[in-house]
Amino acid sequence: MSIVWAIARHTIAEGIRMKLALVFMALVGLVLVGLPFSISGDGSLTGAVQNFMTYALSATGLLLGLLTIFMSRSMSDEFAQRQIFLVMTKPVPRWQYVLGKWAGLTMLNAALLTAAGLTIYGMVHYLRATHPPLDETYDAAALKNDVLVARHALRAKLPDFRVQAQLEFDKNLEEGLYDHVPDFDAGEELRGLTNKHEARWRVVGPYETRVFEFENVLCERSKQKEIHLRYKTQVSNGPPDEIFRAFWMAGDISKGTPVYRLPVRHVQGRFHTVRFPADAVAADHTLTVYFRNENPYSDEPQFPNVIEFRAAEEVEALFVVGTFEGNLVRLLILMQCKLTYLAAVALFMTTIFSFPVACLGSFTVYVFAGAQKFLKEALDWASTDIANMFTSGKEFLVGLLHVVTAKIYWVVPSFGEYDAVETLVGGRNVSLAWVLNGLVWLVLVKTGIALGLAMLLFHRREVAEVSV
Amino acid sequence: MLVPKPSVVQTAGLCKTFKDFWRRPAVEAVKDLNLEIRPGEVFGLLGPNGSGKTTTIKLLLGLLYPTRGRISLFGKPPTDVAVKSRIGFLPEESYLYRFLVAQETLDYYGRLFRLPSRIRRERSERLLDMVGLRHEARRRVGEYSKGMARRIGLAQALINDPEFLILDEPTSGLDPIGARQIKDVIRDLGRKGKTILLSSHILADVEDVCDRVTILYGGQQRAAGDISELLRKTEVTQINLPNVSPETLAQIRDLVRRLEKKDILEVTHPRVKLEDYFLRIVEEAQAANIRTYGARSGGAIPDFLKKATDTGEETLIESLVAASHQGLPVTPIAPPPRGELKPSREVIEQLLHGADAEEAEAEEPPLKTSTREDGRKKPPPGALPSASVKREADAAVIDELLGRTSGGTGKEEP
Repeated sequence: MSIVWAIARHTIAEGIRMKLALVFMALVGLVLVGLPFSISGDGSLTGAVQNFMTYALSATGLLLGLLTIFMSRSMSDEFAQRQIFLVMTKPVPRWQYVLGKWAGLTMLNAALLTAAGLTIYGMVHYLRATHPPLDETYDAAALKNDVLVARHALRAKLPDFRVQAQLEFDKNLEEGLYDHVPDFDAGEELRGLTNKHEARWRVVGPYETRVFEFENVLCERSKQKEIHLRYKTQVSNGPPDEIFRAFWMAGDISKGTPVYRLPVRHVQGRFHTVRFPADAVAADHTLTVYFRNENPYSDEPQFPNVIEFRAAEEVEALFVVGTFEGNLVRLLILMQCKLTYLAAVALFMTTIFSFPVACLGSFTVYVFAGAQKFLKEALDWASTDIANMFTSGKEFLVGLLHVVTAKIYWVVPSFGEYDAVETLVGGRNVSLAWVLNGLVWLVLVKTGIALGLAMLLFHRREVAEVSV
Repeated sequence: MLVPKPSVVQTAGLCKTFKDFWRRPAVEAVKDLNLEIRPGEVFGLLGPNGSGKTTTIKLLLGLLYPTRGRISLFGKPPTDVAVKSRIGFLPEESYLYRFLVAQETLDYYGRLFRLPSRIRRERSERLLDMVGLRHEARRRVGEYSKGMARRIGLAQALINDPEFLILDEPTSGLDPIGARQIKDVIRDLGRKGKTILLSSHILADVEDVCDRVTILYGGQQRAAGDISELLRKTEVTQINLPNVSPETLAQIRDLVRRLEKKDILEVTHPRVKLEDYFLRIVEEAQAANIRTYGARSGGAIPDFLKKATDTGEETLIESLVAASHQGLPVTPIAPPPRGELKPSREVIEQLLHGADAEEAEAEEPPLKTSTREDGRKKPPPGALPSASVKREADAAVIDELLGRTSGGTGKEEP
């Protein structure tokens, strides 16, 4: 391993002395230090900190990703400038050379990421100390309780709408409602009924109540601790001031918990948080929350508002499970996992191609991994659209596109799945399980495959190869 | 039973064909090459540009894979990692990392040989001394001249005390001092029993240091053999004498005519080699402490470069048996004559006055030496600590140096 370490050290020294890493460090530093002075946001302290963290962490990830790709030219440069002749005539196993280069890139990334993380942490506290909050009650408290924490988020357990749909389907079938329907598709009908029941459940009419149940609420059931209920509604026939009236009730008398009544006057279409003591959680770690639509308001009977909880904006119960610092560290580890994979891919590319082509290849993978969700949707649409252009071979074309993209998705991971910036900024817990998933899947499996291929190709390659 | 020591390098039917983009054979760089390099010999690989010398070396080092044929280094394939710890390689260009300083460069390559830190440090210092770059050890290699980089290249090739040294055009880009030093190093290493493969198209270099050569052309071996055998002119006899009077010369000529019925072909005063003359001027400047940012004359070859037999398990008897078994005994090349070096004027005067001066010299005390701060001996002004000076000199050159008008050509026709 002394050889791996020697090559890793050499790669780090090269990165620093060739000024490439320094340029990127300067850029990251400029972004991190400059952002707090250029972001205004909504004027609140919470908004300023959230905006800063979002931009700073995203910029750090992007710049370090690019640095990793450019740093991989360390290896292709050794081929181009033939320094590899001297290295490969020393007793250096080729796999150790590749491993050393990768370790060097990874360690350089880790050092830069640590520096960036410390700067971000420092700048958050600088903002907190210098940016005046709009008010102590909401703004300063929101920053402390909703952002600079690590909260575990639970989604409400939805009723099984398929059961209700099946009951209705059976009833309709019995009544012969489907007898004369041409090309009747039972499955399609069941899916339609399921969606209908879910949509009906998500709508709370005037003076109606909806029950949300949460399971595995593994928090400390103490009056001193808080549960945060985060939700967003859409209101039909909304009032002129866009404010709806309702109240939440948290707790379950049947399970011996206190019940807290929380009247709200909230603006529709935005996320809101209501807080109540954690002793509302039952001993079996379940939490029952009721929502009652108090519209139309007695003074405004002309607005019988219907309140909707949309599927994409589920109600969440949150409770504190850790600190912001721990959360930030876990986020940085996830970022490092992505950079580690990228370093392996970049080295793999340099074992096949020379610098500009290898760099372009690595960048393509980086873009593909970063925007996989978007690209996947786009390709799905594209595959259908392209297929529709042809009357013959449509199925073949669609199938081919799906096979190709599926293979690419298998090889290239989705970085979006390991992007914890939004989670951190929302004060949610970047869970250890998530980090472990990144370490196993991104580092052990995907990086292992990329590095293994790089080693194999490099082992077979003639380092003094001449193509005439 | 005594087992003959195996060859350091052996190739059989070695071929290398470079292919074009479509993988079609394009250039046959090496064709059916059968090569054997025996332990302890300095082997020259000769040939014009494009004759396949460098390709052969790359094949030997595992940087290229043969299209056909077999290569064995110390009895193993060149891709064997363990074999590489016994090899030192100086490529045709130095291929160094521009961002590292000289000290770090040697340290890095030492690490790749898994040398302990202390050994790396010691060897780096000694090698930098040897190549005359100790005073520039903290300068980035990217700032070095080509010759200086070449010197560092040589130093890195020796960091592991290799048993087998491959030098590809070692003197290319070097000034005469550097070229001479490298040749001295090759000779010294050869005397220590190291095996050396020297590839060059500078024939004088090869002739100076090699025991055996092979000549390549068009990727094929055209000639091979012992260099002294190949270059010997058996039809002419050369006798070197101290300067003699015209009368004695006439008597010698008569004697040869009488006994051999032949005329002496040529009577001449040999010239000082320009290399020797140049070295003397530079070393005088160095002795006068004239500042330079370039390389200086190197020191002696470091002690750590052990004799090959020190590390091997072979006994002297075994090596002799092995040599006789192989038919061509490997004999170390005798070092070139190295007289005590004198200030230029003294030397010139001595040469002018011939035997008288020599006798007087015998009675003179040895030249005084002073001691440097680091404890090493410092040569007297004008002395040539490492270059040999021939006692004979061309009279025209001497006269020119002393500002005199030469009275003759320095050459007497029979």
